[in-house]
Amino acid sequence: MTASADASPAIVTRALTKRYHDVLAVDALDLDVRRGEIYGFLGRNGAGKTTTIRMLLGLIRPSGGEVDVLGRRIGPGETSVFGRIGYLVESATAYPNLTVRENLDIQRRLTGSPQAAVADAIALLRLEPYADRRAGRLSLGNKQRLALARTLLHKPELLVLDEPANALDPAGIVEVRELLRSLADERGVTVFMSSHILAEVAHLADRIGIVHEGRLIEECPREELAAKARAFSAQALTEQERADALLTMDLERYFLWRTGGDE
Amino acid sequence: MFSDALVTEFIKLRRSKVTWATLAAFSIAPCAIALFMWIVREPGRAAQLGLLGTKANLAGIQATWPAFLSMLTLIVGVAGMLMLAFVVAYVFGREYAEGTAKNLLALPVARHWIVLAKFVVVLAWWLVLVAAIVAESFAIGALLALPGFSAGLALATLRDVVLVACAAYLLAPPIAWITVLGRGYLPAIGFALATLALGDVFSHTGWAAWFPWSVVPLFVGAVGARRTSVAAGSVVVVALTFVLGIAATIAQLQYADNAQ
Repeated sequence: MTASADASPAIVTRALTKRYHDVLAVDALDLDVRRGEIYGFLGRNGAGKTTTIRMLLGLIRPSGGEVDVLGRRIGPGETSVFGRIGYLVESATAYPNLTVRENLDIQRRLTGSPQAAVADAIALLRLEPYADRRAGRLSLGNKQRLALARTLLHKPELLVLDEPANALDPAGIVEVRELLRSLADERGVTVFMSSHILAEVAHLADRIGIVHEGRLIEECPREELAAKARAFSAQALTEQERADALLTMDLERYFLWRTGGDE
Repeated sequence: MFSDALVTEFIKLRRSKVTWATLAAFSIAPCAIALFMWIVREPGRAAQLGLLGTKANLAGIQATWPAFLSMLTLIVGVAGMLMLAFVVAYVFGREYAEGTAKNLLALPVARHWIVLAKFVVVLAWWLVLVAAIVAESFAIGALLALPGFSAGLALATLRDVVLVACAAYLLAPPIAWITVLGRGYLPAIGFALATLALGDVFSHTGWAAWFPWSVVPLFVGAVGARRTSVAAGSVVVVALTFVLGIAATIAQLQYADNAQ
């Protein structure tokens, strides 16, 4: 899972626009995601995150603008680049009548991966106890793990993840966070992940873009955004609100410690 | 990549209850006809059992091999078109119902291979259903000891069954297009019922040979007398329906939005 020697950015969009009748879902979006970075795409529900991701993957057609992923223009008939992309769009889905192993075997065959890739993906997401269980009988959290295993199975250069922490418990969120960090650091995988929770991307992303009403309203490195957030907090929040926020973090850490998490 | 797409389409049917449900539903028809014929042949016993012997007699059906096999052709042709619509709607529509279309459409497999693989699965499924119902019908006819069997009749029936089964299959692709257009089962089932009804309506008009969904009902004698051959124009219309249906399905997946 090493990044390609290709120097082109992982994702480039220019004036990317999607209009549904009179609703402008994505408005002239310009994105540049560098190779090997983790890019947090942050926005509230309905901001245009999922629509953007669907256009990156060729699932929906832009009303205007261009999308290049791993140096290839995304358009009708373009499929070769998808062998280098792992993606998770919104909810985790799988064929409910098939086992975890069979679901992953489908992904293996369609991505031309070796047979061992299924066992590797199962081990990576700690799905061994459920490998022969039907996907329809998995908990929501394990369905999400299965979706992530499918995403990673073919050792992609680029991960496009839409709300990857959906349905995961706090320990699972930390586990996925560490997995994505190690993929980026050790194997040079580029991660483009959307979220509506700042805390989720703040721990992980190298750069964060904030999208609102289809427009990119802010983009900066994590440290810079954290500094801005601290300044805002000092200026706009009361002592009680800051204390509540700290208490929430302390409670989460305690919960993780009591349930065998890493913190 | 077509072979991989094909294998995965067959894998998806593992432990699927729908395959068995279609087999069970389709198998009921010859049993129902057999019961009907038994009632015709044994009206006294049927009346004792409370079955509708009078109505069966009024229907003018004879309890013979030619009548039984004629009904078999009609089942494969007319009921088969509806059954095939269910199969096509399931094979294509489950990707939307189960939310897996988005997983399938951003893979390094050309979308036309995915569509063609699904149509091969539908064909295999349809052949199994037709083979099962034909075998079942011959077994039931033998058990009932119906009169009038001959090798020539059996061969002619098999030829007609193959003909109507092929015609029904060739009319299936528009169902797939409606399924991916509507992203689910219901529009496809609605479309299938509408075409079946329209097929019946057009069968009574002079345009019957030119309306694709009238060709099968016309041939099997669902409307008027049974035909012994299909007009060349009808063959062209049915073949065009097949080609356009597949092209529309591929184009829908290739060029339209595929959000779920």
